[in-house]
Amino acid sequence: MRVLFFAQLKDVTGCDAVELEPSSPLNREQLWTLLLEKFPGLRGHRGNVRLTRNWEYADADAQFANADEVALIPPVSGG
Amino acid sequence: MEIEVQLTGSPIAERISPPRLAAHGAWLEFRGAVRDEESGGKISALEYEVYPEMAVREIRRILEALAVKHPCLAATVIHRVGVIPVGEAAIYVGIASRHRAEAITLLGEFMNHLKQGVPIWKRRALPVGSSAFRRPEPAKAGTPNKTAIKSLDEAMAEINSRCQPLPAVRAPLAEAFGRVLRETVCATEDLPPVDRSMRDGYAIRADDSAETFSVVDTLHAADWKPRQIKPGEAVRVATGASLPCENLRVVMQENVERNGNQIRIVRRENSSNVRLRGEDVRQGQPLVSAGTKLNAGALAILATAGHVNPLVSPRLRVLHFTTGDEIVPPDQTPKPGQIRDSNSILIRGLLQTCSCDVTQKHLPENFEAAKRLIETFNLQPSTFNLLLVSGGASVGEKDFTRPLLEWLGFEIIFSQVNVRPGRPLIFGINGSRVAFGLPGNPLSHFVCFHFAVAAALECLTGGEPQKFLRGQLAEKLDDKPCPRETLWPARLEWNGSAPRLRPLAWASSGDITCLMAANALVRVPANVEPIKADAEVDFLPVAAMLAK
Repeated sequence: MRVLFFAQLKDVTGCDAVELEPSSPLNREQLWTLLLEKFPGLRGHRGNVRLTRNWEYADADAQFANADEVALIPPVSGG
Repeated sequence: MEIEVQLTGSPIAERISPPRLAAHGAWLEFRGAVRDEESGGKISALEYEVYPEMAVREIRRILEALAVKHPCLAATVIHRVGVIPVGEAAIYVGIASRHRAEAITLLGEFMNHLKQGVPIWKRRALPVGSSAFRRPEPAKAGTPNKTAIKSLDEAMAEINSRCQPLPAVRAPLAEAFGRVLRETVCATEDLPPVDRSMRDGYAIRADDSAETFSVVDTLHAADWKPRQIKPGEAVRVATGASLPCENLRVVMQENVERNGNQIRIVRRENSSNVRLRGEDVRQGQPLVSAGTKLNAGALAILATAGHVNPLVSPRLRVLHFTTGDEIVPPDQTPKPGQIRDSNSILIRGLLQTCSCDVTQKHLPENFEAAKRLIETFNLQPSTFNLLLVSGGASVGEKDFTRPLLEWLGFEIIFSQVNVRPGRPLIFGINGSRVAFGLPGNPLSHFVCFHFAVAAALECLTGGEPQKFLRGQLAEKLDDKPCPRETLWPARLEWNGSAPRLRPLAWASSGDITCLMAANALVRVPANVEPIKADAEVDFLPVAAMLAK
């Protein structure tokens, strides 16, 4: 599973992506647990960050599987 | 509603034509420009960041949803990203509708949604006088294609510098074969960890010159019974047994007479028959270095050291599109004008040397139809590290692949390499993702895979860069002088100490008969006369027998 970081989250993690290989699909909570283990600095951003799964905002009950591309979307500012 | 969405790194055109729809009475245009102020300070430019695949989808999704309430005829959205100078447009929206009211409402609502949910960010403001901002050169008329033809060396250098290693992961040994080790693993203990017997026999003190000994213990291969051995004592040991202490020697059982608990040495060998602690590797010494492609032997060493979850390159995800309406699956009989698809299995086979998952899909030759098809795939085109597009064998391959890659958000680094076969090779980058458009012929595929795709795979996994080796021609390479460099398929043989290369016959880039035997590519410089037998040449090994 590839997890992408954008904007200020890149500064927090020091990278633009991380590769996770969970043995079974993760729910939102499990994914965050894994990410916070790797990047404790994300903790303060969690409230503002939306998760996407394969180019779409993920539902509350989304399962994140090994083949998915996941992204952490901080507040956007396009236009 | 017809929807067109573009992301661009270049200035948005001054004039954008409305779609040719007879029904529209209104054509509403909006440009959002970069202001000269951000957070109270004067700025010269803003830098925008984008999640391209999702941004394009999200914009489209928002427009489709709004069009239900406010039926309009067409919408064009162009968002510029990268560094945008003050006064220039960051976004353009054009909406065509029957009457102005619905277009105005849709525009207003669209901009609100865009600012809430489309993954585009103002990444940083560049203050006035900042050197980080350089105004891009305006494109000269008549030269829209900045990617000139590259030489083979230039192309390989571009690939090596643009493809970066993907983040490493930990993987169990059973899943690590073929991946690149991304940490240097050192021995945590001496190997072997204790002195071991290399023979079935009797261990005695190395300095004990007596002839007769009493046997005080027996050790099998799995036993571990440390003890001191006194002069005159012997321990019965099996091959591989851990010796009870150091400074011992083992007398082979063939050289001993045994009588009850007593032995007498009839002949002493010169060898101590002991494999010493740390003889293979000392504690702290590197066992397997970072950058090693893990083969069976390397995995066995890691297992020996108990390093069961090494840090390795991730398993790559490769997406492979074949194109061309003349291609039929290999289990079908081609009609006149059609050919069987051999590239799918060729690519799948060539990728076997690295740890990857390959997804293959066939696209229709019509660009719009191909885009529509990609959008309907359940596979997620974003979830790949490497995208390969095989052009059709006959027509349209360049025209099709390049816009396809650009549509998928790739920046095209080059689109031609001055090499034969395989000149129309396209290389694109989108963040950490890499794409190649491969010319359709199987031989071109084979050649491009080995000098370009294989180089990218090495970079993405963190392995050793591709490099040419020196060898000798086994026979004359009879080629007419060609203005392009050639990578000539050859059979590598070992004859004595030097690799020798037997050039294989091929007539055109569609010639596939030589693929089976080819395990090397000989580099033939441009404009040379036939090369004589025994001449030294550069070659690229393409078979596992020479894998690093």
